[in-house]
Amino acid sequence: MSLRKQTPSDFLKQIIGRPVVVKLNSGVDYRGVLACLDGYMNIAIEQTEEYVNGQLKNKYGDAFLRGNNECSD
Amino acid sequence: LDATPAELVDKCIGSRIHIVMKTDKEIVGTLLGFDDFVNMVLEDVTEFEITPEGRRITKLDQILLNGNNITMRNPGQKPHEYGSTSL
Repeated sequence: MSLRKQTPSDFLKQIIGRPVVVKLNSGVDYRGVLACLDGYMNIAIEQTEEYVNGQLKNKYGDAFLRGNNECSD
Repeated sequence: LDATPAELVDKCIGSRIHIVMKTDKEIVGTLLGFDDFVNMVLEDVTEFEITPEGRRITKLDQILLNGNNITMRNPGQKPHEYGSTSL
């Protein structure tokens, strides 16, 4: 466990290409590989699975999530 | 004692903190860093949702918590299961 100081922008740079979970306030989760993102936390995810209340509902080859909605991960 | 909010958050870097969200969810984790918008990078995170079942989700990897929905944070690691009354 590395306890180095890490800002959000450093964190985002290092997770590109890794599998992520994006949780929205609405209770919907998106799981996939992080393709890219920008300073507004708009993100693009590949091989996305959409989970609603823990249940898999949809799959998308590419998903774009608008920044205002993002909650965690 | 003069302290800006940013200085107070900065003091918590490296420590466990407890964050209350607008949506009655609470997050406990080790603070690695934050930015001007108080988006926070946390690790070894446990997520608590205030429901009758008391659902709990533990994530070991790091998370980026969007500052838009943070209501308050407390140093320490004891979440309140129903609501939050501490300052």
